[in-house]
Amino acid sequence: MTTLQRIWRLKNTILNLVASRCLACGYVTYPPKMRCPVCGSRELREERLPREGEVLSYTIIRVPAKGFENFTPVIIALIKLGDAKVLSEVVDVKPEDVSIGMRVVATVRKSAETIDGGVPYVTKFKPLKL
Amino acid sequence: MCELRRVYVAGVGMVKVGKYVDKSLRDLAGEAALKAMEEAGNEVPEALVVGNMLSSLIEQENLASLIGDHLGLRGACGFKVEGACGSGGVAVLTGYSLVASGLFSKVLVVGVEKLFERPSSDVIRGLAYAADADYELIYGVTFSGLNALLMRYYMSKYGVKYEELAYWSVLMHKNGSRNPYAQLRYEITLEDVLKSPLIADPIRLYDSCPLSDGASAVFLASEDSKRLTDTPVIIAGIGNSIDSVDLTSRLELDHLLASRVSAESALRMAKTDLREVEVAEVHDAYTITAALSIESIGFAERGKAPKAWSEGRFSPGDKPSLNLSGGLKSRGHPVGATGVYQLAEVVMQLRGDFPGVSVPAEVGLTQNIGGAGSNVTTIILRR
Repeated sequence: MTTLQRIWRLKNTILNLVASRCLACGYVTYPPKMRCPVCGSRELREERLPREGEVLSYTIIRVPAKGFENFTPVIIALIKLGDAKVLSEVVDVKPEDVSIGMRVVATVRKSAETIDGGVPYVTKFKPLKL
Repeated sequence: MCELRRVYVAGVGMVKVGKYVDKSLRDLAGEAALKAMEEAGNEVPEALVVGNMLSSLIEQENLASLIGDHLGLRGACGFKVEGACGSGGVAVLTGYSLVASGLFSKVLVVGVEKLFERPSSDVIRGLAYAADADYELIYGVTFSGLNALLMRYYMSKYGVKYEELAYWSVLMHKNGSRNPYAQLRYEITLEDVLKSPLIADPIRLYDSCPLSDGASAVFLASEDSKRLTDTPVIIAGIGNSIDSVDLTSRLELDHLLASRVSAESALRMAKTDLREVEVAEVHDAYTITAALSIESIGFAERGKAPKAWSEGRFSPGDKPSLNLSGGLKSRGHPVGATGVYQLAEVVMQLRGDFPGVSVPAEVGLTQNIGGAGSNVTTIILRR
């Protein structure tokens, strides 16, 4: 269970999907780092990831952590967005209809209440309907 | 590297892994510690290193002082180290360093975890503290969920069937059924695994280790103190490595960098190679963790571990024989104690007095993994 302070601090990174790109070797990481995990360079530039991507892997969580009882079962996926990966929830789809390679797009949705009673909004993903 | 002193394991102690309501954290730790001290000729350690991950859940920190005082060790050096589920391994590394450096000659390392005091939803949340609170936990992902993501990715990339992975659990329960220290001391069938409830698809209950209470201790001693025992086992090599906590910025999702690097470091230090290893305990929190650990160490090629164990590889008597204790799957996973259990078990295998399935062996390996591969300690033991 998170706090309002944390959500406030992370709002730009999470809502705008801000990653860091290494200007020396090009490696892109989400979440952003202070030094490149691949080459150690400190020359990193923040950049927004594309908001459309594809599911690399997914799971359906049936035994929830405390605070997420109302969100269970929840679909969690690793999603490839451009040169980076993010972990997020997939919404607006039945668990049995999720698949690897499925195209998804970012959307802003409500998350579980914080310890201090706030209702945070975070980036989640929904199926891309062309 | 400067000259290191040789470090011996002069005594080990374990309590049966399980669910304890009648014993506290200090009782469990004390029981394991006293056994290890007895094996080491009732010597008094100069330092106490405690491995633990989640004692904050039961509102207790300052563990070395708590346990040390319970054991009559006032005045000794003491502190706790933490590396998630790999806390036991880093506690051993710390104890090893204290002896190898010459700072102390007799160090007691105790791994302890007490989970069954809080509702399981609190414990599940607590175990996920090993994940990234900012970027992963805000979605309510559990530790099982993170491993499920790795499992599905692995199965898809290598075309590995669920049943092949699940068979690991059957093998582990077979070994664990003969280990008097094991929590789940019974055999299971593949059908039992397939019929067990889904926790986080594709992970089912029997793909996962249980929640566990437990404590294990090892008494480490320098060359001048190895007289403490007739059957000393030497820590020939030890390595630790970290990787990202978040899965998303990993270079690879089907390979544990920290497992490979820590194993390479330990083997280099021991001046040996994997072909010499006869017995090993690997960290199988989930069946997928077993596959990734085995492959990242180098015991099997990528994507091939499940096929190998399905065909009888790694069974008792094979080189290496893996997880004769039953592993995390059957022995149990008292989180911060697990790495110390593994060490105690392999030491007993090398001494020839492990009370369960045992094989004659002179070289052993342990691998303890914290998080989803983010903090890994590998140790090489030699008789």
